[in-house]
Parts: sequence; C-alpha cells; structure tokens
Amino acid sequence: MKPLENRWYPYALLAPAFLVLVVVSLVPFLFAMYLSFHQVNFGRIGDFAGWSNYSRLLDNERTWNSLWVAVKFILIAFPLQFILGLGGALLLNKRVWGRSVILPLLFIPTMMAPIVVGLVWKVMFAGSWGLLSYNIVERFGLLPGTSVFSSPDYALIALALVDVWQWTPFMMLAFFAGLQALPVSPYRAAAVDGATPMQMFFRLTLPLMAPLMVVIGMLRFIDAFKVFDTIYTLTAGGPGTSTEVPSLFAYRMSFEQWRIGESAAFAVLVWIGFFILCSLFYHVAKKKLNAF
Amino acid sequence: MNQPASHAPAVTAKPIKRISRQERVSVFWTLLLIVIAFIVLFPVLWVGSFMFRPDSAMFARPTEWLFEPTLVHFRYVIDNGFIGYLGTSFALASISTLLVIVLGTPAAYAFARFKLRFRDDLFLFVLATRMAPPICMVIPFYMIFSNMGLIDTYSGLTLAYLTFNLSFYIWVMSSFCKDLPVALEEVAILEGYNRFEVFLRVVLPLLRSAIVATGMLCFIFAWNEFMFAFMLGGQQVKTLPVAVPELITTQGVRWGPMAIVGTLSLVPVMLAVFLLQKHIVRGLTMGAVKG
Repeated sequence: MKPLENRWYPYALLAPAFLVLVVVSLVPFLFAMYLSFHQVNFGRIGDFAGWSNYSRLLDNERTWNSLWVAVKFILIAFPLQFILGLGGALLLNKRVWGRSVILPLLFIPTMMAPIVVGLVWKVMFAGSWGLLSYNIVERFGLLPGTSVFSSPDYALIALALVDVWQWTPFMMLAFFAGLQALPVSPYRAAAVDGATPMQMFFRLTLPLMAPLMVVIGMLRFIDAFKVFDTIYTLTAGGPGTSTEVPSLFAYRMSFEQWRIGESAAFAVLVWIGFFILCSLFYHVAKKKLNAF
Repeated sequence: MNQPASHAPAVTAKPIKRISRQERVSVFWTLLLIVIAFIVLFPVLWVGSFMFRPDSAMFARPTEWLFEPTLVHFRYVIDNGFIGYLGTSFALASISTLLVIVLGTPAAYAFARFKLRFRDDLFLFVLATRMAPPICMVIPFYMIFSNMGLIDTYSGLTLAYLTFNLSFYIWVMSSFCKDLPVALEEVAILEGYNRFEVFLRVVLPLLRSAIVATGMLCFIFAWNEFMFAFMLGGQQVKTLPVAVPELITTQGVRWGPMAIVGTLSLVPVMLAVFLLQKHIVRGLTMGAVKG
C-alpha cells in the first residue's frame, strides 16, 4: 500500500463531498441550535431566550406523550417484524422454486413510497366501506360505530401493523442474507452427531445469527423512531394526540403552531439522541459483523 | 447413450433419489411462499384495480369484486397536471442522484482505502446526517431557505436531498470499495500510473456495477421522499408524493386518480427491486450486511 500513501491525497478526494455535507447538515444543525436559544415569532428571529425554549419543551405534556407513543409503536411493531421476518427468512432458505422472482416482489412494501403505503392502507380501512373495514371489522362486529384509524384505542395498533407490513420484508431479506452466509461445516458436524432440526436451529442458527440480529434490530429501532409519512396520511397524529409520534409532534408544533424556537430545541435534542444511537450502531456493527 | 448410465449405477442412483425427495418438499414450501407473497401484495393489487374502477364500484357494500372498467380517472390525471409532477419527480431524483455519484464516489474510496485522521468521527458525522429524522432538518432548512428565496426551487430541493443521499451513498459505496482487491491498484502504480489515474482508470471501472446499484437506490429514496418535498417545495416544484395527498379534496377523496399516481410511483421501484436483488439488503443496512 506504500505507493498509494500520501498525506493530502485522501483528503483531496474527501473535500468536495465534505464541503457539501458541512453546508447541508452541519450548518442546519448549528442554525437549529442558534434558533433554539432565541425567540422566534412567525419566522422572525427575536431576542436571545436562554434555555427557555428547552424548559418549555420539557414542560410540555405532548413532548413526553410523543415519546411514549413512539415507544408503544415500536413495542408493538418490532417483535412482530422480528418474528415474522425470521420465519420468512427460514422459509426462503428452503429449497424453493422461483426465488429470484418472489424475493423482489416481497421487497415491494419496503421500497415503495411511504406516502403510497399510507394511501393503500387508507383504502383498505377507509370508513365503513374499505375492503377490510367492511368485510372484517364490521362483519365481525369489531369496533362498533367507528373506523380503525379514528379509534383512540386501536389507531396506534393499526399503524404499527401497517409498519409491520412495510418493514417485515426488510427484516426477512436481511435475515435471509445472514442465513445464506452461514458456514456449512458446523451443520455437517451436527448432522453427524444426530442433532434434530430444532436443536440445530436453537444451538447453531440462532447463536450464529445473533450478531446480525442485534445490528438489524438496532437499525430498525432507529428507523422506527422517525416514522412520519404513513402516520401523516393515515391519522395525522389523531385522534387527539393518540398517534402523535415525535416527528409528527415536531411537525405540528412548527408548521401548525409556528413555535419554531421550541421545535428547534426539539430538533437539537433528537439530533443528539440520534448521534448517540448511530455511534452505538456503528461500533456494534463494526465489532460484531466486522463491517465498515 | 445407455452405456455411461449402466457404467456406474451405484454412483448415480443415490443423488437422484435425494434430489427427487428435496423437490417434493420444495413444492410445498414454494406454494406456501407464493401464497404469502400474494397475501402481502394483495392490498397493492386491490388499490391498483381502482385505476379502472368507476367511482360507484370502489366502496360498494357489499364489496364488488367484478366491475366494468373505465378510463375516466386517467383523463382526470392528465387534465390536472400530474404528468408534470411526474416529470418534476424524475428530474429532481435524477439531478440529485448524479450529483451524489460525482461527489460521493471519491469520498467513499478515500474512506475505504486510506488511514485518515478522525476517520471514525467523520464517518459517524456522515451516518448521523443520514439517520436523523427529516423533520429535524426541515425546521432549520425551512428558515434558511425562506430567507434565501430557495423555497420552491429545484436548487433548494436538490441541496436538501443531498443531506440524506450523499451520506447514504458514501457509506454504502465505501463498503463496496473495501471489497476491491488492493493489489490491482498497487500494480497500476508500479506500471507508472499516478494516483488520480489509478482512481479513474482502475478503480472506477471496477466499481461500475456498484455505482449503478447504489445510485439507483439514491434515485428511489429521492423519488419516494415526502417531507422535504412537502415543506420546501411548492407550486413550481411539486413531486408525485406531494401531489398524492392533494387528491383529498373538499369534494371528497379522488381514489381513482390516487391509485393511478400511486401505481406510477411504483414503476421505478419495481425496476429497482428486480435489478438490484442482491444489493438492496446491503444498501438498506448501510453496508453492514453484505447481501
């Protein structure tokens, strides 16, 4: 590698991209920080406000409500995605025909525009006439007098299930990639020793897949926290604040109530939180998967 | 013809028997997988059928499975400027993707190949840019853009799209760069190439398919993006995802045109999932899992 080493060359390669990234991400971050310490009235930056934006934000019930909604959302969606994804990956890993056709088709929910995902499920559960709301919800007398997305008790569960539909394919294909990369020799040895498929799964597959599962789980956790588009189309945070996840709360606070100062404070705190989460993800993935 | 078969019957008999048993098993799993795929995709197909449904057949109670197809919704989509939004979406996604490729490829290569000071910190900065919720970026962007007159312009949105796509591209491409053998570059240096020629003539050609794959994912992300386009766009620069919620009018929701626009937005996505099979997982895990 000696001939390629040079003190300035790699930095020259990096410079254009980093210049742009500084402009499009460091500058907005610093500006958000600046805003969060000032009074901002209808887009005009006013006096220095100290920590008052932060203290008002932390006193606001809706701030904590939005975090709690996100936690509930993740607690419902994540285990289902994980189990269904793992099951699907094991199924894909069997000798099946036409995998190269089925596999991309299964990826469609993850890759399609989230706004269209919202639209699709709006149609399925619309009022009392959507396909599922008429044929299932109403026929079996679930939820009398209301529709799924306007029920304070069930709207969040329904949204979490939409998230399951959207993201299980991702979990499935990531786990499938992991299964395909498993070494063969331990399985041969286990088969020689007369291990049952169940034993092989719990003693070999799960432990060998554990690092991948941790990394994928972290990634999904980070992603699930910033869900916006589907919820915006399906419930817009309502009824009341029952499905108001952090992104939606920040959106409503900034562009419906124009409390830009507090929103900026919120953005700064969330940003710092994400920085910590990302560095965790980075170090875990680097160590466990030998990635990066 | 028969001689080779009778020549070694003991060797061939066993594998054939084993394969046929596996094939019998695979029919069951294949059918199961097809049924699952159908159930998963059924909502998309159902909404797709709205493209041709007359309004009366959309939410009939009881559900009407069969209907007389109509093209009236296509008329509405064409008359209300949706072809223009399609063009905007395409232009915006293409411009930002090209920019990302030009800026990002050298940076990704530098990350993968060289020992850099603060490498981890720089790399994390890039990752956090990608991962932070878009709403966090939109608030400062909105304030900056409205002061600079960048709201509702192509340059403004292209800039905003760089925040998530450039960082995504650098991460995933650097994982591809790491897979390249160093030896080739060393040989090229010994052959008398200078460093820049090595990058241009040796590394870039090897990265071609990786660039196409990662670039395509960037295109899809820009194509699907909603929050930035919604807040920082407007009447001049309006993308398809922003046009979709606008079909919820005061006279009710126009489901037919919605289905058409949704289906249109699915076209590049379908292309991508079929062309990129192996690379999607790597892309969506930021290069952590090699598909």
